[in-house]
Amino acid sequence: MKFDATTFKLTEFKSVQKRSLIIGILGLLVTAVGYFINTDQFFFSYLIAYLFWVSIALGALFFVLLFHLTGTIWGVAIRRILETLIKILPILAVFFIPILFGVHHLYHWSHVADVATDPILSKKVGYLNIPFFAIRTAFYFGIWYLIAQKLYKTSIVMDSGATIDQIQKLRKISAPSMIIFALTTTFASFDWIMSLYPHWYSTIFGLYFFSGGLVGVLGFMIYFGLYLNKRGVMNEIITVEHYHNLATFTFGFIIFWGYMAFSQYLLIWYANIPEETIFYLQRSQGTWSILNKTLVIGHFAIPFVGLLTRNSKRNFTYLKYMALFILAMHWIDLYWVVMPTLHKTGIKFSIFDLTSLIGIGGIFMWLFWTQFGKHAITPYRDPKFMKSVKHEVPYS
Amino acid sequence: MRVCGVSVKDTTTLLLDEEPLITGNQTFSSITEKISGIVEGETNKIWFILLGLTSSLALMFFGSMGFLFWEGVGIWGVNNPVGWGWSIVNFVFWVGIGHAGTLISAILFIFRQKWRTSINRFAEAMTLFAVVCALIFPGIHVGRIWIAYYMFPLPNQMAMWPNFRSPLLWDVFAVGTYFAVSLMFWYTGLIPDLATLRDRAKTRFRKMILAIFALGWRGGNKQWKNYEFAYLLLAALSTPLVLSVHSVVSADFASAVIPGWHTTIFPPYFVAGAIFSGFAMVMTLAIIARKVYKLEHIITVNHLEKMTKIIMLTGMMVGYAYAIEFFVAWYSGNVFESFTFVNRAFGPYAWAYWIMVSCNVIIPQLFWFKKIRTSVPIMFVISILVNIGMWFERFVITVSSLANDFLPSSWDYYSPTVWDISLLIGSFGLFFSLFLLFIRFLPMISIAEVKGVLPQADPHYYEITKNRSRDE
Repeated sequence: MKFDATTFKLTEFKSVQKRSLIIGILGLLVTAVGYFINTDQFFFSYLIAYLFWVSIALGALFFVLLFHLTGTIWGVAIRRILETLIKILPILAVFFIPILFGVHHLYHWSHVADVATDPILSKKVGYLNIPFFAIRTAFYFGIWYLIAQKLYKTSIVMDSGATIDQIQKLRKISAPSMIIFALTTTFASFDWIMSLYPHWYSTIFGLYFFSGGLVGVLGFMIYFGLYLNKRGVMNEIITVEHYHNLATFTFGFIIFWGYMAFSQYLLIWYANIPEETIFYLQRSQGTWSILNKTLVIGHFAIPFVGLLTRNSKRNFTYLKYMALFILAMHWIDLYWVVMPTLHKTGIKFSIFDLTSLIGIGGIFMWLFWTQFGKHAITPYRDPKFMKSVKHEVPYS
Repeated sequence: MRVCGVSVKDTTTLLLDEEPLITGNQTFSSITEKISGIVEGETNKIWFILLGLTSSLALMFFGSMGFLFWEGVGIWGVNNPVGWGWSIVNFVFWVGIGHAGTLISAILFIFRQKWRTSINRFAEAMTLFAVVCALIFPGIHVGRIWIAYYMFPLPNQMAMWPNFRSPLLWDVFAVGTYFAVSLMFWYTGLIPDLATLRDRAKTRFRKMILAIFALGWRGGNKQWKNYEFAYLLLAALSTPLVLSVHSVVSADFASAVIPGWHTTIFPPYFVAGAIFSGFAMVMTLAIIARKVYKLEHIITVNHLEKMTKIIMLTGMMVGYAYAIEFFVAWYSGNVFESFTFVNRAFGPYAWAYWIMVSCNVIIPQLFWFKKIRTSVPIMFVISILVNIGMWFERFVITVSSLANDFLPSSWDYYSPTVWDISLLIGSFGLFFSLFLLFIRFLPMISIAEVKGVLPQADPHYYEITKNRSRDE
């Protein structure tokens, strides 16, 4: 791949684009075999992989909105990568279709007969039923489409001469969009994940899912930026200062995630109400308890200590592995939340966990490259662009 | 300059092209004069009147406390189901107020928000005084004040220890730590300014006192370097404290099994609420102070507008929590949960609930309009309404959940007595008295930090301005 320094566009990226597509199709094909071998396993693996990629795109949406609202300077240089992610977010709705087909395998509340005999679940029928579930998901994606479309288009228009009106317009869109984002993400997490255990509930769950997505997108951004830089793309634009900021954000949101996870755990453990403790009880059965500790150490302690110093945030090789590690932890987090519904006694990794992740990921990256190659890969006409490129992280 | 082969206009603008935070063409010396002048000059008459008023209220506070110790907590309106009344409400309210100071000083510092410099000093002072007020309430709530030391894990001959699993003990640690670190942070920030005052002092005695507290500050490069690093470290230490204190306070409620208290969103929800009310209080005080001491050039409408945005944001976070709580109460399928929330909105305390919702969620929405965000009188009113709303939030949480719990036969309605009211009003008296003393004796705005955000503070200022005037 090459970078055209006059148009700020990517050229000769077709091979990586094609490779993503091939990997994606192969991954999905192998995963499809899982449907015939072990249908339940197939759907659960698929759901986790799906949540992983959707959460990254949702995290990107948050950052784009945040950047416009706060009038970021440093973030301008990397904004187009995030914008490309949000542009493909609505397309991921297509990948939700298999989940709709697998709704009986995934969601206990979809079994009408079981629900009728369950006094608690029968109260929730008004919310937890298949048509409304599908409508809600369609609604989330529809509204994300509208937001993403507006933000992306306006940003592209700025590439042919930016005016102050566009910057103000982006800010004006972002303010209400942030509110909509908060509510839709929360309810999406309730629908897609929390309702896997229809008896269980936790008011913080939306924030928990959201915080994981933020960590995920930051890991993605660091890794992807370094991937581009290694191939000589945007080396002068995304500098060590930007990685420093991204790593600082990662550090912050690792703590944020830990705070959410701990708040939820502490309060449920303390109050010791059976209908709530079931969630943690399930996750202490058998080998599941290994993942509990893995998350505490891997999703919190290691990145916390590992991103504490200034040097660690400015070392590219180190950051690359840290980003990969954080992405792996983000997947484990989702696995830990979703999978105990299926494997109650202990961890049972399946090949389809991996193939579905790669399959959806391949297609995701293919969509990403396709979109990424269409326009300039950094908003170079943004009035703050040069300031962003020259941005330096102060010592104190 | 060229980036990727493209020539781009030189953008060495740095601080110069940004809209100046401090208006009125201030110089280093005018800033020093202005802020030190408040401390060194004649005492303002309004100040005397206000202190007279607030210290009388503070006296009432101490008087009420004296009667409380004499008579016992029976003088309050607490009854059988509602064992936690206004005292706890006031405690949470004041701790919440105490959150803005450290947020502004530490979190906004870490986020490199330069506008914090005009408001951080008095916001920190406000934090300290609010925490003092807050700590009094659980202290007097023990009833037998002479054994209040039982709250601390002190080795004793009775081999009696507090329950380490109790969030009430965590409160002692959390709020205590918060107070200690906030005090340290505030004092560290004060050192360069104390040295400035010392150097300007006219009398020997004044010089001596200030010299002691300025810790031998000379303003050398080495000193600044160490100082700024210490400041960064303290900011980093304070940041988690901003979150932890109110999270622990929220655990006082959320670790119980009472519907409406036990819900997992409480820690972040309480933190957002605390920042919300704290910012509103900073705004109330800032608006009065800038008017009385003519600081409109330093605390500009621009600063206030930024604060309105944070108030709006945190107000919506609180609104989010209200909404999610309500939804999940229904979604849980638990009759007690859903009853509690419906009861809050439409039961005997509906009036308090709707005051809370209107003041915290609906009224701050006015800040969507630029006209209102830049209108000082309107934001003054809103900032007070926000604090009324936030007081009622704690009231709704504390009282409504207790008054109507699992057993209808034990339900009762809570009404405050005159002593509840006198303690609440009295605590405001103490708070404002301390604050007034502070603005009279210490620089209420950080002189050194405000200078740092002036255009002249940019190392290239003179070079660039010279070049520009030549080009023109």
